[in-house]
Amino acid sequence: MNVDFVLQLLLNGLILGLIYALVAMGLSLIFGVLEIVNFAHGEFYMLAAMGCYFLTAGAGFGYWGAVVAVTAVSVCVGFVLYEVLLRRLGGRDFERSILLTLGLSMVLQNGALYLWTATPRMTTTQYTYESVVLGPVQAPLVRILAVVLAVISFVSLYLVLHHTRVGKAMRGVAQNRDAALMVGIDPRVVSRLAVAVGVGLSGVAGAALAPVYSVHPLMGFAFLFKAFAIVIIGGLGNVAGAAIAAVALGILESLASGFFSLVVVDGLAFVLMILVLLVRPHGLFGGGVRV
Amino acid sequence: MRRAPALATLALAIAAALPFLIGDAYIYTLGLTICVFAVLASGLNLVYGFAGLLSLAQVAFFGIGGYGTAILVVDHGWSMGPAVLVAGVLATVAGLVVAYASLRLSRHAFAIVSLVFSLLCVIVARDWVSLTRGPMGMPGLPSPTIALPGLPPWQLSGPRDFYILLLVYAVAVLLLLYRVMRCRIGRTLLAIRQNEPLAQSMGQNPLAYRLFSIGLSAWVTGMAGGIFVFHLTIVDPSIFDFYYLETMLIMVVVGGPGSFWGVLGAAVFFSAIPDLLRFSADLRLVLYGLVLIAAVLAMPGGVAGLLRRRRLRRWREARR
Amino acid sequence: MSGGGPSNKDTLFAAQGLGKRYHGVDAVADVGFEIERGSIVALIGPNGSGKSTTVDCLTGFQRADAGRWWLGGRELTGLSASRHARAGLTRTFQNVRAFDEMSLLENLCLGAQQRDAGSWWQAFTGGPAERRAQAKMEARALELLEMVGLDHYAEAPAEILSYGQRKLVAIAASIMARPDLIMLDEPVAGVNPTMINRIEAMIRALNADGVTLLIVEHNMEFIMRIADRVLVLASGRLIADGTPDEVRRNPEVLDAYLGRSRAPHAV
Repeated sequence: MNVDFVLQLLLNGLILGLIYALVAMGLSLIFGVLEIVNFAHGEFYMLAAMGCYFLTAGAGFGYWGAVVAVTAVSVCVGFVLYEVLLRRLGGRDFERSILLTLGLSMVLQNGALYLWTATPRMTTTQYTYESVVLGPVQAPLVRILAVVLAVISFVSLYLVLHHTRVGKAMRGVAQNRDAALMVGIDPRVVSRLAVAVGVGLSGVAGAALAPVYSVHPLMGFAFLFKAFAIVIIGGLGNVAGAAIAAVALGILESLASGFFSLVVVDGLAFVLMILVLLVRPHGLFGGGVRV
Repeated sequence: MRRAPALATLALAIAAALPFLIGDAYIYTLGLTICVFAVLASGLNLVYGFAGLLSLAQVAFFGIGGYGTAILVVDHGWSMGPAVLVAGVLATVAGLVVAYASLRLSRHAFAIVSLVFSLLCVIVARDWVSLTRGPMGMPGLPSPTIALPGLPPWQLSGPRDFYILLLVYAVAVLLLLYRVMRCRIGRTLLAIRQNEPLAQSMGQNPLAYRLFSIGLSAWVTGMAGGIFVFHLTIVDPSIFDFYYLETMLIMVVVGGPGSFWGVLGAAVFFSAIPDLLRFSADLRLVLYGLVLIAAVLAMPGGVAGLLRRRRLRRWREARR
Repeated sequence: MSGGGPSNKDTLFAAQGLGKRYHGVDAVADVGFEIERGSIVALIGPNGSGKSTTVDCLTGFQRADAGRWWLGGRELTGLSASRHARAGLTRTFQNVRAFDEMSLLENLCLGAQQRDAGSWWQAFTGGPAERRAQAKMEARALELLEMVGLDHYAEAPAEILSYGQRKLVAIAASIMARPDLIMLDEPVAGVNPTMINRIEAMIRALNADGVTLLIVEHNMEFIMRIADRVLVLASGRLIADGTPDEVRRNPEVLDAYLGRSRAPHAV
């Protein structure tokens, strides 16, 4: 074991954690504003990655073209998802919202399996074979770009939530629904935007990860496991908490993968989640939306 | 619904007579599938329809029962009966831990944590090779022997024998669950689901009732898994396949959460239907997903809920 | 009992130094009072004065930040909501609650079972003891339904009832377990005058039967008619405690109400 090895693990962990954060923040945002747990969230991430693959492999898109197209489509899908399905649920129908999004997840995942089979595919872009050397460690360029995309997304989300009217309204609804409704915020506009942003974030995550790992229809399903654990660890509905927990988990998993077997690495998220629930039931950073 | 007990008795009589009439293995395989899903769906109904907790860990309990039994029999030389019982208890313990940890926070957390637990089980089954043999699982499980006092030992081989065993098991479990649902315990569970603070103000402790329902449900579900893997003669990570969970959910949601007969009817219907819909398994699950979405949007109470609404209308008319 | 508690043996319930804060603001601060056995005590105050918070804390539905309370000499501080009920302190809710899909008979029997019914095993096996307990609970439930004039709906699901009828059923359910003290949260709010009379009759009948009541209410006329003693909360503090007449003439109480009446959402 040497220092370079650990640095390499840290870098990989950071990248992984940032991608976790993209998915988990969207999940947490949707829960904070709508009180809906979106079980189909992983499938949107999977569809975005598949879309990225088909755009680069089939339609001749470059890296950036594919990322922008996939993200834009994801945001639109979020709008449609809210208008067609989620709008029909009342605030108190928590179990129904799960069944609904679970049904949607079944349709998307098995539909994808039927169309594309479970075979993993590699996404190749113009950057695939380039690397960046950072002192003692080196990283493929597509990984560094994934970090860049994640950071751009975080900054834009922060700006939207803190410096636009509708973003402030979104935070208002999440913090105190009744008070927000009383001051004249239209819950429909806010909810629609939250779902669009949430699904859009998982779209960015899918597009950013497609060139890094292989893509296949079951990838969203496996990812959701981590995302849910992160959301609980960070505090249900706490978007910033989810981001911090995600990066921390990514780094811990990466370090663990250097020294322990696979089951320990993958079980880590679950064990941490149960520990957090037993010691601090409202999550490390408390429930309620803080962005 | 009033004729349901009579119908069930008739169906049971036919089911019990089958082994003396038919030699067709296909019918027995279908029959034992119905028995397994009747147990799984009714177990979920106790947790979701009665206690109001959407447990997505049912498939985990099923698989823990399957793996637990197989490991006890193959690696430790136990006989099947005690192995099934103990593996069921293992599922119960897992269920209680998940429920106790998450219910301190909320029902929301319970649903999420139960799903994460199911996913964890897939990972453990696949990656903890020294315990579970990894992705290939444990093939070639021995055909078990059941020794009851006073009877010659019964070596189970082939679908017919497993059909008989699972039919006996399913009837026993359904009688147990029916009794729990219909007695004061079931009524209290329903009350807690309908209005938790009111139930508390009447001195009921929701956590105790909820832990009880999870524990019982996990136990019967785990034991069903333990018997089922010996019919399959293999246990591998596909025992945790979400196909089982999604099918259970469809049965409970369409049949009507909280309705014993509605869910039982739906379990029989949806166990038989895959043989009628002979297209790809992926497309079948797409269809199930659409059914789930449609059921949630169009009939929140399931089929049983529609019947109940008719009864309600009669009361409203009588009031005028 | 250690460190204070009720001093007099006629005192059924005592609370001392109750406090609850939300986001750093005192919703209730240093509230203390005693309730005499067999009395009807009213708790009034302008909107947002902390009445419901007080009841929620004293029945275990919210965790109090400070204070202790006793029922019949037994300290209940910090116990869960269901333990408060088991100790003999039940309540009703401001937004009236019922088990909507269950019959009125089942609704009421649930109120009695923690007191009258046996263990879970007894419930499961359904032996003669369980049947006897069930019959006893149903008889009492029918008696109460008759008293409120709803006995012909005994088998009907609670969701078909009108708002006022639901309030009656909620009160009936809260006394099924024969509690020592009931806290009624706005029993006549939003109810028509005929129904108010029926609820008043019911409360008087219960009181004559030996039940002690704490009533949170906005309807002054109703309070002045029915209460033996009135407690007044304003901004989370107890500002008056006396007979209805004394409270009516208390200038501080007038101030609390009139001061608020200039604000948009006054009583």
